Amino acid sequence: MEILSKLNSPVMYLISGSIVAFVALLCVVFAVRAYRAGKAIGMDTKKMKTAIVASVSFAALPSIAILLGVIALSGSLGTPWPWLRLSVIGALHYETQVAQAAAEAVGVGGLSAANMTPEAFSTIAFLMSLCIIWGMVFCTFTCKKYTSKLGTGKMAEEDGSAPQEPAKDKSGKAKNRPPLSKFADRAMTATFIGMVSTYIGSYVGKLVSGGGLLKFKGDWMPLAVAIAAFLAMGFFMWLKDKKKAAWVDSFSIAGSMLIAMAAAIFMAGLA
Amino acid sequence: MTTEDKQKYFEEYNNNTHRIGRICEAAVIIMLLGAPFVIGAYLGAMPNMSAALKAFLAIGIVHLISCVVEYLIYVPMLGAGGSYLAFITGNLINMKIPCAINARDIVGAKTGTAENEIISTLSIAASSLVTIAVLALGVLMMIPLQPVLQSPVLQPAFENVVPALFGAMAYKYYKGNLNIAPVPLVLMTLLFVFVPGLIGSTSMMIIPSGAISIAIAYALYVKDWRKDHL
Repeated sequence: MEILSKLNSPVMYLISGSIVAFVALLCVVFAVRAYRAGKAIGMDTKKMKTAIVASVSFAALPSIAILLGVIALSGSLGTPWPWLRLSVIGALHYETQVAQAAAEAVGVGGLSAANMTPEAFSTIAFLMSLCIIWGMVFCTFTCKKYTSKLGTGKMAEEDGSAPQEPAKDKSGKAKNRPPLSKFADRAMTATFIGMVSTYIGSYVGKLVSGGGLLKFKGDWMPLAVAIAAFLAMGFFMWLKDKKKAAWVDSFSIAGSMLIAMAAAIFMAGLA
Repeated sequence: MTTEDKQKYFEEYNNNTHRIGRICEAAVIIMLLGAPFVIGAYLGAMPNMSAALKAFLAIGIVHLISCVVEYLIYVPMLGAGGSYLAFITGNLINMKIPCAINARDIVGAKTGTAENEIISTLSIAASSLVTIAVLALGVLMMIPLQPVLQSPVLQPAFENVVPALFGAMAYKYYKGNLNIAPVPLVLMTLLFVFVPGLIGSTSMMIIPSGAISIAIAYALYVKDWRKDHL
């Protein structure tokens, strides 16, 4: 276990901590610039503050879950490296998968402190970085071109809607197709509906066929937790709409998740 | 400031965002790729490149494709500032994207507008700082916290964070969109019920499901537009 004491040494904390501190600084710089720009273009500062408060409350619970990921990985990779990877760029499901694949490729079998060697660790760390940098690479080289092609960042119309496209095409003829800019919002909502449907569908699939095709012997917990969160969200929205408790909106997702997670503990106790 | 002045100001702000964003992304890429070598020097063993390449071909390609898809889908949602930060700070699907959309919905900003870009950037910066703070505090208190957080009683809660998130979001997005939601939901349910092997690749299935939802939304949008304009 000598390797673990090296992986948890002050040098490792220094390497990871300095990158985390750099990213924290970037967040502050981007936030301050955005806030100032918002003020300059006449955005309501109350709205910007609401967005910040909502985001802080939204992030609190998932952050605790991410912290659990650090704890889960710390047994085999030490604490500083998982701390860096889950603070910056990573996600638990991804990190675990890649670390496992790297451990297999380097010949130590799997993620385990008992089998870990210095070479295995540095290879795992390298692969974890190499596999996940592509979003940043694309951003670095193409984000400017991509966003200008999309035409984002235009001032909204008086009513807050996305800017209008001209009703006529280049030849001066009236367009017989609707402007795509007005569709962007619906497209994003539709993407989210697709994403949510995929996960909910997978939870049903897990229950119905997870323990054998159509045998209903699979894991029922994810679907039960999703239903609990769905109902809790319904309750929060009822409070917001019918009881005029608008403040509930900022805490509705985090609150629903918390209730559903508490329900998971309760249901696991019953099972 | 007139609308034209505001537009000019925002364009300049965006150009600077791209400049700063590119420099920062490049710096973080160098740091992340360089750190394993610095660690290797400290541990006395550099990364095994042939093993890394082998593992990359096995698993990295999948992540490369998913990075492309995420990039194409999320940049229009977040705008420039939000995208640069989101791709640096990670945890996109389980936190940053829903968080930014939630903030955007609360303040009523519309996709493609300057307001949306500002709100997304603020939201991603705030949520990233929360994660960094929680993790830093957690790591500091790791030893006394470990028994509580790893308590078997709490595990079902933390193992089900993602279902809890998607259950809550389902209500939010299905309500008011009942003309779109049933088709992807039924199709995905049938797919996972009859091909349970795909459950392990759930995130890849977002692509067809999202495409179906967008196609339905577009058909409805064109129908509504034609009713009003033709």
